[in-house]
Amino acid sequence: MRRIVLFAALLVGLLAAAAGTASILAGQKAPPITQVGVQVLGPQRLGPLPPVVHPPGNPPSSAKIQLGKELYFDPRLSADGTISCATCHDPALGWSDKGPTSEGIHGQFGGRRAPPVSNAAYSPLQFWDGRSPSLEDQAKGPIQNPIEMGNTHEAMIQTVSAIGAYQSEFKAVFGTGPITVDQVADAIAAFERTVVTTDSRFDRYARGDHNALTKLEKEGLEIFNGKAHCTGCHWGPYFSDGRFHNLGLPPKDPKNPDVGRYAVTKDHRDMGAFKTPTVRDAARRPPYLHDGSEKTLESLIDFYDKGGGKGPNLDPLMVPLGLARHEKAALVAFIKSLDSLNPEVADVKAPALRDLPH
Amino acid sequence: MKRTLTALFTGAFALLVLSQAALAIPAFARKYGANCSQCHVAFPKLNDWGQRFRDNGYQVPGQQGSEKTAFETAIPVAFRTNAGYSLYGTGGQTASGFHIYGLDLLSAGVLHKNISYLFVYTPRIDEPAADYNGPAAGDNPAQLAAIESAAVVFSNIIRDKLNIRIGRFEPGFQLLSSKRLYYILQPYEIYGFAGTHSSFDFSASQIGIEATGRFKPGLKYALGYINGTGANPDNNRWNDVYLALSKTFGRGEGQSAGQRIGVFGYLGWQPTTFVDPIVSPGGDINGKDNRNFYRIGGDISLNWHTFNLQGMGFYAVDDRDFNDLDPALDYKFWGGVVQLDWAGLPNNRLVGSLMFNWVRPPGYDDVHKVDAYSALVRYYLGSWSAVNIAIHAEFTHRVAGTIGPVREDLVTILLDFDF
Repeated sequence: MRRIVLFAALLVGLLAAAAGTASILAGQKAPPITQVGVQVLGPQRLGPLPPVVHPPGNPPSSAKIQLGKELYFDPRLSADGTISCATCHDPALGWSDKGPTSEGIHGQFGGRRAPPVSNAAYSPLQFWDGRSPSLEDQAKGPIQNPIEMGNTHEAMIQTVSAIGAYQSEFKAVFGTGPITVDQVADAIAAFERTVVTTDSRFDRYARGDHNALTKLEKEGLEIFNGKAHCTGCHWGPYFSDGRFHNLGLPPKDPKNPDVGRYAVTKDHRDMGAFKTPTVRDAARRPPYLHDGSEKTLESLIDFYDKGGGKGPNLDPLMVPLGLARHEKAALVAFIKSLDSLNPEVADVKAPALRDLPH
Repeated sequence: MKRTLTALFTGAFALLVLSQAALAIPAFARKYGANCSQCHVAFPKLNDWGQRFRDNGYQVPGQQGSEKTAFETAIPVAFRTNAGYSLYGTGGQTASGFHIYGLDLLSAGVLHKNISYLFVYTPRIDEPAADYNGPAAGDNPAQLAAIESAAVVFSNIIRDKLNIRIGRFEPGFQLLSSKRLYYILQPYEIYGFAGTHSSFDFSASQIGIEATGRFKPGLKYALGYINGTGANPDNNRWNDVYLALSKTFGRGEGQSAGQRIGVFGYLGWQPTTFVDPIVSPGGDINGKDNRNFYRIGGDISLNWHTFNLQGMGFYAVDDRDFNDLDPALDYKFWGGVVQLDWAGLPNNRLVGSLMFNWVRPPGYDDVHKVDAYSALVRYYLGSWSAVNIAIHAEFTHRVAGTIGPVREDLVTILLDFDF
């Protein structure tokens, strides 16, 4: 009798396990947007960036890229003609800004740091919370954000349509017809896909130049890919998994916390989670984290070494690292080796207003 | 005399080597392109990240569902072996020689979201045996052929709180893993110790089913129902049960950060008589007159910088029918281990460890008391992805028995190779 009871218990356990798994499988929905694109295959090795893939709906052309560049630097897209995309995504500041968070129209500050535009072409989702599935979609957002460019799409189109030079350029790129917000976004996105850093000392090392990195930087690479667990999230050529993690940053305003990815998914597991930024060119754009709370690479590494912040819903990937001082120095050295050597990207200068289309 | 010494030497090795096989899985490092130290403090000891990865069914925590499966990666197979030179001494006699100490073949990976597997096979190695006369007559192999692990894990049946492991696996009551310690030749002595007439081995992989899970903040459990003998098929009709609970204070899993304490209990039955020498063709098991035994104990793991102090001990009672020395009494004993590990150099390429093992049998047993003092140094030649080569030096001074104690010394320098 005892054996029968034990056997029955075992059988029930097995069935429960199988049923649980089956229900998980049966309950699977279409892949969430976070699994679209580069992440579908899971973690990838560090290495040079592959060529940019352009969406079929927005093929690039030199004229479109030039138009997009002009629009990117044009402050007239904002309500009062003071804020352009480049105001917060400045090429001279690593395609971000001085932070800690970005200053928009009328001196207003947002709650988050400006994500870098450089290499954003490789990010499957845009914004810190991933609410935009493409650069085209993203480009429309800040224009009508009341604390960024403070405009409306209609007013922006009126402004752009009134500029004669833009009329002819849009006509050349998109054909006849009125200028639309989608065309503006397409042009800006086409330009942003040219802001790609394909060459750094790390990339040269990865391509086989063993002298491209110093001994300390090589140690840093090993630690980045090992004891420091950086590649748990910062993997692949883009040095980002494109996913969302809660690093335990305590909310600056506990009564009105920044919920991060939760605002998009309404999944409590995403509460306070933000997109993994690329590490490429990171040394050029302090401060760090979505709220710009870590001023230097050194303090950022100390933050990770402690296992993150003390806020709730900490990502399970966050554990104390036990890094020695020398290991931290090696990590900083390696991250600096990811600074791009692409002059065509780093040296993009914002044109003066008088040089923009009139 | 030489033959006796050699036999002694080889026997000591067989005892030590067969008692453990360390696990590390470079197939994972190949899959992720990561350095081994992503999951290991230093191979093969898991760090906190690696422990969470293992607990999550060999999936990156929080990333299940977007993992490459075993069918999308390089062939998920790995090897581990070690070869080197050993010097063994006891009672003024010494013996030395080169040896291959073992070989593990491993395969592991994700089959589907939240379904993964681990398979470990140890092939028979007929060399070097003291009485080796060829494969047909090699009855004293350096390693026995065995399926050390063959388990499927169903993870996150209830997210984080319920995972089911089925097959042959390392039971979760081993809060200090006997398969992932730095020492290659010195096992946790108490794990392999039992009543004089019992074959139970606390460190053996077991066939059965196990539920594991974690609760906030830092509470973990393992509940298992296993055959308890490690035999395949089982040699008795009675199965064993166990429960282990652990609690971690602070961040981490207590492996390389955080402070962990745990308790465990094990209740089992072993046959005391056998009807036939072999299992019947019908699959009936032949062990009869089962008697019970239990183990109850605890462990602690304390971390400070890159130092890790671990301690484990348990109290054991085996039924009097397992007691050849005094059949009127249950065989009661206790023992444990204290181990201090340190890791240094970038990416923990240098490891040092001190360990003390003790076993305390009943007072009337003057043979089985053990004190073993061990030390080791490991240096990893590189910090590579999916390849580990370490120079490993290990020393143990072991004293067994109380009357005319046997003193043994074992010094080993070997190359630990894993890819």
